[in-house]
This record gives sequence, structure tokens and C-alpha cells, in this order.
Amino acid sequence: MKTPLFASLFLAAAVVANAATPEECLRAKKLGKTEQAATCLLELSRSDNAWYRAEAAWASGRFDEARNLFQQALSANPGSAEIRVRSGRLYLERFNKSEASKLFGEALKINEKDAGALMGMALLSAEGFSSKAEDYAKKAAEADPKRLDARELLARLALERSRPDEARKHAQQALAMSPDGAIDAMAVLATADWLEDKKTSPWEQKALAINPNYSELYGIGGDIFVLQRRYREAIALYEKAVALEGHNYRVRSELGVNLMRLGRDQDARKQLETAYEAGYRNAATVNTLRLLDSYSRFDVVRDGNLSLRLRKDEADLLRIYAMRELKKAVSTYNKKYRFELKEPLQVEFYPDHEDFAVRTMGLPGLGALGVAFGDAVAMDSPAARPPGQFHWASTLWHELSHIYLMKMTDHKVPRWFTEGVSVHEEMQVSKEWGDRLDPPILKAIRDKTLLPIADLDRGFQQPDTPTQVVVSYFQAGRVIDFITEKRGWDTILQMIGDFKQMKTTAEVIPARMGISPEEFDKQFLEWLDADVGQMARNFPEWEKTMKPLVTAFEERNWDKVIADGPRVRDLYPEYVDKRSVYEMLAEAYRAKGNSDKATEEMLRYVRKGGRSPELIKSLATLLVDAGRNTDAAGVLERLNFIYPQDAALHQQLGDLYATLGNKQGALTEFHALVAMKPIDMAGAHYRLATAYKATNQPQKALDEVYLALELAPGFKDAQKLLLELSP
Amino acid sequence: MRLLLTLLICAMFASLAGARSVYVTVVGHPGEDDYRVRFDGWAQQISRGLSMTPGSPLVKTIGAKAGATRQELEAAIEEAARTTEAGDTFTLILIGHGSFDGRDYKFNLKGPDISSAQLAVLLDRVKAERQLIVNTTSCSGGSVAALVKPKRIVMTATRSGTQKNATIFGRYFADAFTDVDADSDKNDTVSALEAFQYAQRRTTEYFDQEKRISTEGSVLNDIGSGTAVRDPGKDNGQGLLAGAFPMLRYGSSSVSQNTAKSGLLQRKEELEQQIDRLKYEKQSMSPADYRQRMNALLLMLAKTQAEIDK
Repeated sequence: MKTPLFASLFLAAAVVANAATPEECLRAKKLGKTEQAATCLLELSRSDNAWYRAEAAWASGRFDEARNLFQQALSANPGSAEIRVRSGRLYLERFNKSEASKLFGEALKINEKDAGALMGMALLSAEGFSSKAEDYAKKAAEADPKRLDARELLARLALERSRPDEARKHAQQALAMSPDGAIDAMAVLATADWLEDKKTSPWEQKALAINPNYSELYGIGGDIFVLQRRYREAIALYEKAVALEGHNYRVRSELGVNLMRLGRDQDARKQLETAYEAGYRNAATVNTLRLLDSYSRFDVVRDGNLSLRLRKDEADLLRIYAMRELKKAVSTYNKKYRFELKEPLQVEFYPDHEDFAVRTMGLPGLGALGVAFGDAVAMDSPAARPPGQFHWASTLWHELSHIYLMKMTDHKVPRWFTEGVSVHEEMQVSKEWGDRLDPPILKAIRDKTLLPIADLDRGFQQPDTPTQVVVSYFQAGRVIDFITEKRGWDTILQMIGDFKQMKTTAEVIPARMGISPEEFDKQFLEWLDADVGQMARNFPEWEKTMKPLVTAFEERNWDKVIADGPRVRDLYPEYVDKRSVYEMLAEAYRAKGNSDKATEEMLRYVRKGGRSPELIKSLATLLVDAGRNTDAAGVLERLNFIYPQDAALHQQLGDLYATLGNKQGALTEFHALVAMKPIDMAGAHYRLATAYKATNQPQKALDEVYLALELAPGFKDAQKLLLELSP
Repeated sequence: MRLLLTLLICAMFASLAGARSVYVTVVGHPGEDDYRVRFDGWAQQISRGLSMTPGSPLVKTIGAKAGATRQELEAAIEEAARTTEAGDTFTLILIGHGSFDGRDYKFNLKGPDISSAQLAVLLDRVKAERQLIVNTTSCSGGSVAALVKPKRIVMTATRSGTQKNATIFGRYFADAFTDVDADSDKNDTVSALEAFQYAQRRTTEYFDQEKRISTEGSVLNDIGSGTAVRDPGKDNGQGLLAGAFPMLRYGSSSVSQNTAKSGLLQRKEELEQQIDRLKYEKQSMSPADYRQRMNALLLMLAKTQAEIDK
């Protein structure tokens, strides 16, 4: 007969032999083995090991407790890389990237091949859409070939970067390692099928058979669809995820953010508030809720199926120009793309750039000025930037083109192509619009670092450097210019059809251009070189000769500026940024009393797309002084597309129009002037009254002149006008 | 209250007939060439604007090019003290840098500076009862407490002595002397209040456009006690005196002496008073009623003015 002591010892030994580890508990939880996971975590929570207790607290959602326990564990084991990695993973999950990065870095200092730390860095980089994510994941897989999550992450990253074959390869490798455990790999495989418009995927059922509540099957899918800008499908997947697992607040937050992208503000708020109340307070959740709250300070202005969301304090002004431009762009694109925009479209203008930035959260490599979501465009208002930094009308036409291409291809258009068409469209409105040929672009041309056409998407989605995005925009635009020049606009429309059928760039180029992608690259680069190659080669010379010219300008050595300026200017005629040669030459000519030459230089500046409101207004003054009122008006009109929040602009342009007999133009400008609520409000109302009178609207004229006189009862000109208008 | 304002304004304008306007602009020590050019430019612009105003005001600018000394400033104010009468108006404009040590404001001069308390003592000797002090310097808000006095309007570029950055307000205050838009009620006169509101608005627009955090906040006090305010108006009872203080006039503003028109002039004055009264009663009326009555008064005023101008 065994003694009770012996039985206790036997039981204790059995317990020690079967002691739970965090890895086992989390694995059970992930695979839906609920009871097993619960028992496991309970055991962990009773462990003497602070680290284990931390893991149990974390798994139960007690994050602060978990953090404190990890700190305790680290104090007891200061040399532990593993505890650092796990603690870092907690911080990463709870939105503290800098602390996570610090801990992973410390772990790598202890052991540079620590697979856990490398995996942590991979996940951190993936959140920022950095190209380093894949490098880290590969290193983690090399450091520990049995590491399943590294393989699964590689599969996911490949799919995010539109490399489905590679994604499938990695996923299959993960499945080979763990046929019944690699459910993230199954999620990637299912998503790859859904991206190809397959209605069903066997991987969906396989994953759910392992864990019927595995919401990240759809969560991962939704994330990847968002990156492909297929927002409706992403939302459908997120909704499935939330239906399976209501407390997957990460997915709830993404669902809310994406509902907002489709203008479903109320639904968005519901999801985001649920996540927020449950403690899921990452930047996207908090900032999006704040933005929704701020909408009480906005008005919505409608015209048919088009609407503008404008902040109240600039609504009266912007609606005048923005609605006019939006309608013009829609009318143009309806014809050009042979596609009629029938669904409601909202364009949102954000005078606070941080509000606009909230709309682009989680979307890598996007333009910093505007974004299109399918049924909505969000962009900076002209007031979001210092005057002259931003051409809002150009951005509007750019983003609207995206809307058309997304709708025409069910959101399947490759990134490079839609950006290229958008950039092309800006210049179709005017050669002065669109981005200028900046130095990073010239350097890329000169250094031959433009990407091959088949790989151009990478320049937007995984840029090696921040400037590569800027260069890729330029390159994509010129590619569309090249195709249009060689084959006509109809070829672009045909390519749109091809992309709708999910053909790849490598397939479409030979089919529509009759040449391989490699030959295309060769011909394109030759064409580009003929256009801007010389400028790129001139760039070092320009840089060298600008310095003494600027010095001469600062020393007010006008003769030297005039002597050397034209040659320097012509080395890089596209440069219209601060302290351009145009500006320096104009100043020099003016100083020497040569207004005609100064005017000529400024006109060159404006025709090359120069946008400084100060320079444009001073050019207008020169033109008025020379009696060239029509040219002056033409020059000032440009500013309405750049920075309309300028009362003096509308007053001057309105007066010019009135002088030139452009009654409708004067009316528009004086409306804008009144909307600006200038210092001289009485004068603004008076001017508007005269414009109404000129356009045979006597009652409106009367209303305005009374408003002028109410502010300034002794205003004699207004009194005279009142007597003329009164019966 | 309305009647009091109207009487105040009428009394002021009546007493201005024959009264002199004296302006002293003092440019302090600039410190650097950039500031010297800037401050001199503002002073010249003010002087240019004043040279166009009718009535031959007495305009004195000191400190151009190198900055005024304390002796020069004291001499200019003492001259005003000797030569002005009670019915005259006196305007002192300070351009340059200021400093504040937590207790005292100082206007930076070439050589020893002058504190706001010391300035106040000098200004108290000026016989002109209506005074306008415009301090456009950094830290100028620190000078308000020492300078406020009944019938004296004090205007500063900063709301407190701790706003130490060089100001923009002075530039736009100078613009008020040459930009007709500053005369927002189109009565051919730029009042101190209009100039203040013009400069304040332009300053705010500057910081908004440049996307910079504002480092100054202009304020005004014209009730002789208490603090200076950012938005003088009905709510805080400030701005009445400043609104009736003519800083700059345009045109000839000659008043017809034709006795046949004296009836029309009286009628005009009555209508203007009715208009002012109606504005104050606006909140207690329906919008339609207000509009109808206002338009009727404005039309009558226009007709009356047309008769006067015949």
C-alpha cells in the first residue's frame, strides 16, 4: 500500500513534468482549445515565475498588471532576452512602439540572433509598412527554422505587397511545419483566393474547422483588402470577423475606420466607440473618434450627387471655387473615361492637416495632400498649408481621377497605374499644374534609379527611401504620358479594362504596347531622356552656379545677377521654388528700373508653374501699371487655385474684371470677398452690390448696399448707389 | 447708455473744431540692422500717412536710424506738455523693443531705458486731455497698468509683459495710416479703435497664414482703470473712447457753413443717432422688423446727404 506521502510526491512530480508554458497556453488559445487554454492559463497565473504570471494576465486582458509583472520578472532576470521580447510584444500590442523597439533592441544586444527579438522587429516594421519587415522576418526564420510565426508573417507580407505566388509558397512552408496549427497561413491562403475574386476558398473551412471562432481569418483578410483599396470587401470581411468574435477590438477599430472611408459615419462611430470603451485606444481609434466629433464644425454643401464637406469658417468661400472645379472635373472625366459617375461623391476639405492625416492612417505611401476612398475624397484645404505650398485644384483633379479608376476596375487597378493617370490628368488641365520636376527626381534620372515598369508598384508601397515615393509619382505620370503619346488615350482605357480583369502589369504591357516590359523600359527611358535628360545632366552644374548667383543677389549686385542669371536659369528651367532664378532676375531688373524685363521674367516663372502668391501679386501689379489689365487678371486667376483665402486677391481681381467688363467674373470674386469677411466689410458689400447691379439683379444689389450702409452709414458711394437703385 | 455715447461722440467732435492734434513717434534702440530698417520703415509710413491728413497736425518723429535717447524722448513729451491745450489730442507711438522683469516694463532706448511708470509721469504733464498711447514693442502688455488713466487710450501689441518676441503688430498699425480699408465705417476718419482692430486682424491673419503659433496678442484699455482687453465692445464696456478718437482723417472734411443747410445737417445727425440706437435695440426685435426700419433710416440718410451735397 502506498503511503500518502509517496502519493503526494508522485503527484508533485507529475505536476512538474507537465508544467504549463506560455507558448503552450497561447497556442491552445489561438487554436480554439478553450478549456485547455483556460486550464493552462490558470496554472500560469499561479506560477512562482513572474514572467508566467505576466503572460496569464496579458492573455486575460489585464494589461497593466501584465506590464508590472514583466518588469518584476526582468528585475529578477536582468539578462533575459526572452522576457524582454515578450514584454516588447505586449507594448507593441498596446500601441507603444517606441518602448517595444527599445526592448527588442536590448534583446538583440544580448543575442543578435534572438529569433523572438527579430520577429518582434519584423512585426514592428510591418506596422509601419517598412521594407525592413521582410528582412527581419527572414532573419527570424533563419535563426529558428522551426519558427512558425516567422514563416506566416513572410506569407502575409508577400501578399500585402501583391506577390501572391510568393505568399502561397511561404504559407505552404508554414503548413508543412504545422498542418493543423498554421492557421495564420491558412488565412493568407484564403485571402489570396478572395483577392482573385474566388467566391469560396477551401482554406476558410480548414481554418474554421480548427478554430470555429478564429476571427483573424477575416481580420487578416480585411487588412490586406484595405491595402489594395478594396474597402467594401474589406468591410465585409471585418464584419464577419466581428460576428465570430465580438471582442476582437483590433478588428472593430479597423472596421470603424474603414466605414468612415465610405461615408458611413454613424456606423463607424458605433464600432469605434465600442473598441474605445473596451480599452482599445490606439491612435487610429482615438483620432478617428475625435475627427467624427469635429464634424459638428463642418457643413455639407450639395449639388446633385456631389457634395463638399467644408469647415464652417471657410465654407462660404471654398464652396464657390471647389464646387465649380469639382463639377468641371466630373464633366470632363465622364466624357474622357466614358464612365458616368452616378453614385454620391463627397469631397472633404480639411484646413487642419492633422485631421486630414487621420483619414490616411494605416495606408502607406500615400500622397500627403489628398486621398481617394472610392466614394469620398479627403484632402487638405488650401488653408492647411502656408500660401503657395499647395495647388488644391490640381490635387482635386488628381484624386477625382482615382475615384474613376477605382470604380471602373472594382478597385483592382495597380497603384502605379492609377497614380500615373492622376498625375497625367493634372497636367492635362494645365502644364502649370501638378508637381514640379524637383531635384530628387533629376538625381534619380541621372543616377538611373527609376524602377522597371513591372516593379513600379514597389516605389509606392515599399519605397526604399522616402524620396522614392516622389520619384515614383513622377515616373508613373510620365509613363502614362508616354503611352498616350505613342498609342493614344484609347490604349489607357483598354488597360483599365485589362486591370479590371486582374491582369498584371507584366501581361498588360506586351498585350497593349506589343513589346516586353523590358523593351518598354528601354524605350520609355530613351523618350524621357530626350525630354528631361539634359536637365538632369545639367543639375550638378546648376547647383554649382546657383551659389555665386545667390551670393550676388544677396549682395544686391544686380549687374552680375542680370549677366549670369539667364544661363543658370536655362540649366534647370523647371526650378521655381524659393529663391528661383526667375525671382532673382525679376528683382534685379526692377532694381535697375527695367519693369518690362522684370515682367517678362515673372511671366516665365508663372508659366513654369511658380506658385508664390507674393510674386504672382507683384507681377499683377507690374502688368496693371503697364496697362495690361487682361494679363493681370489672367495671372491673378491662378491664385484662386492655389490660395483663395486672400481677401486682397478677390478685391483686386474683382475690380479688374469689373474694369474689363467681365461681369460674371466680378460677381464671383466679390462673392468670395464678402465670404472672406475682410476688414473693410462695408466696401466688400458695396462691391458686391455693384456687381449685382451690373448683372441686372437689382434686388440683390439693393440688399447688399443696405448691408454696406448698415456698417458704414456715411459711406457716400454706397449712398449714391442706394439712391440709383431705389424706386 | 446709448444717449450717453451719442452725446459723448458729439461733444468730442464738436470740441475738436479748432483743437490741435499732436503726434509723437519714438523709435527705440533697434539692436540689429534688420530691426533698424523695419522700425524706421514703420515710422516713415506713419509720418507719411499723417502728412496727408488735413488740419495740419503737429507730427514729430524721433530716433530714426539709431534709436532715440531718453533725453530726446523726454524733450519731445515735455514740448507737448508745454504747447498743448486741454482740448487738443496727443498721440504717442512707441516702436522698438521692450523688456519686462516681472514688475516693470521698460522701453529700450539708446542709452538708459525708460520705464512705463516714468513714461506715465511725463504723460501726466501733457495738458491734452484726450491721449492715445500706442506701444508696439515686445513685452508692451507690461506697460498697461502704469499707463491707464481716465480719458487716455492705451493700446499695446502684447497682452502681457511676458510676450517677449519681436512683434508684427507695429507693421500693421503703420499700415492703418496708409490703407483706406482701415476706415471701416467709411466716414473719412480712422479712429483709434479702427486702427487697433485693423492691426489686430492683420496680425492674426499673418500668423494663421504662416501656420505659426501667435507670439503676441494686442489689447486695448480706454476706461482708465482695470485691465486691457482683446475685443473692446459692449460686453466689456471698452472701445467707446477709442471709437471716438480720430487718429487720422482723409479728405477735406469741410463742413458747410451754409445756414440753409443747417437744418439738413441737424436732420443728418438725428438720423445717424437713430441708426446707432436701432443697432443697440437689434437683439430685442424680429429680424424682419429690424431690417425694414434700418433700411428706411439708411434711405432717408442717403437722401439727406444728397441734399447736403447739392
